[in-house]
Amino acid sequence: MPAFRAIGLAAACLAITPAFALEQGDYRFNAFGTAAVTYLGGEAEGRNYGINGQTTDSWRGDQLSKLGTQMSYGLTDSLNATAQLTAKAEQDSWKANLEWAYLAWQANDHVLLRAGRLRTATYMYSETLDVGFSYPWLRLPDEVYGQIQLSNYEGVDVVYSLPLSFATLNIQALAGQAKDRDYYLFDEFYDTDWDNLVGASLSLASNDYGTLRVAYNQAKLTIDNPLLGIADSKGSFLSVGYQYDDGSWISANEWTRRTIDGPMSPDQNAFYLMGGRRLGDFLPHLTYAQLDEEKGARQSSWTLGLNYSLMPNVTLKGEYKQVKTENGFEGMFVPSALEVLSQNIPDFDGEIISLGIDFVF
Amino acid sequence: MSLISRILGVITLSALAGAAQAQVAVIINPAAPKAPTQAEVANIFLGKDKSLKGFDLKGWNSTKEKFYGQVTSKNEAQLKSYWSGLIFTGKGQPLASVADDAAMVAQIAAEANAIGYVDAAAVTPAVKVLFTLP
Repeated sequence: MPAFRAIGLAAACLAITPAFALEQGDYRFNAFGTAAVTYLGGEAEGRNYGINGQTTDSWRGDQLSKLGTQMSYGLTDSLNATAQLTAKAEQDSWKANLEWAYLAWQANDHVLLRAGRLRTATYMYSETLDVGFSYPWLRLPDEVYGQIQLSNYEGVDVVYSLPLSFATLNIQALAGQAKDRDYYLFDEFYDTDWDNLVGASLSLASNDYGTLRVAYNQAKLTIDNPLLGIADSKGSFLSVGYQYDDGSWISANEWTRRTIDGPMSPDQNAFYLMGGRRLGDFLPHLTYAQLDEEKGARQSSWTLGLNYSLMPNVTLKGEYKQVKTENGFEGMFVPSALEVLSQNIPDFDGEIISLGIDFVF
Repeated sequence: MSLISRILGVITLSALAGAAQAQVAVIINPAAPKAPTQAEVANIFLGKDKSLKGFDLKGWNSTKEKFYGQVTSKNEAQLKSYWSGLIFTGKGQPLASVADDAAMVAQIAAEANAIGYVDAAAVTPAVKVLFTLP
C-alpha cells in the first residue's frame, strides 16, 4: 500500500508544522447557489445563445441557475480532504457533477499541495465559476468565458503564497488531464480529451491598488468530430486580468488569447472592461466585452447591471445585455443547421435580460 | 446643580461611556513569540499570514465591525465576499471563532500563539494588549 504509507509518512512530518485552517477531525460545510431566469429578445424565433445554447426567446431558468455544496474535512492538522458537488443544467437536462474532490496538504506556511479532481485556473474567475456571488454579473462576459468548455481536471497543483507589506503574491502551477468531457458545438455534444494539461498563474493582490493576475495554460486537445480536424492539437490560453474594489468603486477587466492548432480553429482574442460604483446597498455597473476572430469576425456587447445586496451573503441582480456579431461570425449564437450547411451565417443582434439571486453560506 | 449642568453632565457621561464601549483592544498571549504590527495583524486575520493563530468573534457586532473596518478596511459584505473567494477556490478557511469577549480572553490566555480582539473593557491581566483602536 505505497499510497497509504506515503500519507502516513506525510502525516508524521506534518505533526510538527504549525496548524493551518482545519485541525484534525474538524469539518466545514459551505454552499452557494444562483436562481436566475434569462431571456433572449430581438432575434429570430427559436434562436439559441450561450455556452450550452440555453438562452432562448422564452424565459428559462436552466442557463444560469445552479446549486453547489462543499465539504472540507481535516484528516490531520495539515492534510484536508475537500469535495464540491454541483447541480446545473447541461443543455436541456439537470446534472449532478463532482466538480472537486482532492486532498490538500499545507506543507508549510507558504506552500499548499493539492491532488485529485481540481478546478481549472484558466480565467480570472475560473476557480469560482459556479459561485455567482464572487463576481458582479449574473452572466459572466460570454465573449471571454465562452471560449473554453472545461471546468475541472484530474491532476496536481501547488500554490505558493507570500504576504508582503504592500501585497500578497500567489504563484500556482498545475499539471493533469481531463478525459471524456463534453464539447458543445452547433447544438450537439462531442467527446473531448484534454491531455498533457499544464498551466501556471501569478497573482499580486495589493492592499490598495487592486489585484493583477496572469495565467497561461496549454493542453493537447482531441475532439471527436472529424469536421473540426482537432486531434492531438495543441491549444493554449493566456489570460491577463485586473480587479479593483475599494469598497465603493469596483472594476474587473480581463484580456485573453486562445490558440488551437489546425485550419478550422482560428485564433481568438477577447476582453472585457467593467466598472461599477456602490451606492449604499446598490451596485450599478457597466461592461463592454469583445471577441475577435480572423477576417473581422467579431462579437461585441454592452451590459448594464444593477445589483442589490439584500444581506451580506445574498445579492439580487438584474442585467440587460445588448450583443451583436459582424462579418458572418456566429459568436456565442447557435446557428441553424441550414445556416451552417449553406455556409451563410448571418450577423446576429440580440438583447438578453437576466434576473436572479446569488447566495453563499 | 442647575438643570443645564446636570444635562451637560449626563451628556458627558454617556459620551464617555460610549467612547469606552467603542474601544477595541487587539490582544495576544503574554508569551507570544512576536508582537505583530497593525499591517501584520490585518494579514493574520485575512488568512494570509499564518505566523500567529487568529480567533474571531462569532456573528457580527460593533466590536468586530470596528476591528475589521479599521485594521483591514473591510465591511461585513466585503469580508464575506473575500472569504467566499478563498473557501470556494480551496485556498483558505475562515478563522476559528469564539462566542463572546470572555471566551476570547480565555482563548488568548490559553494559547501561546493566539491573537484576538475584544471590547477594551473586557481585557484582563491574563492577556497582553497589542494596541487599542479608538
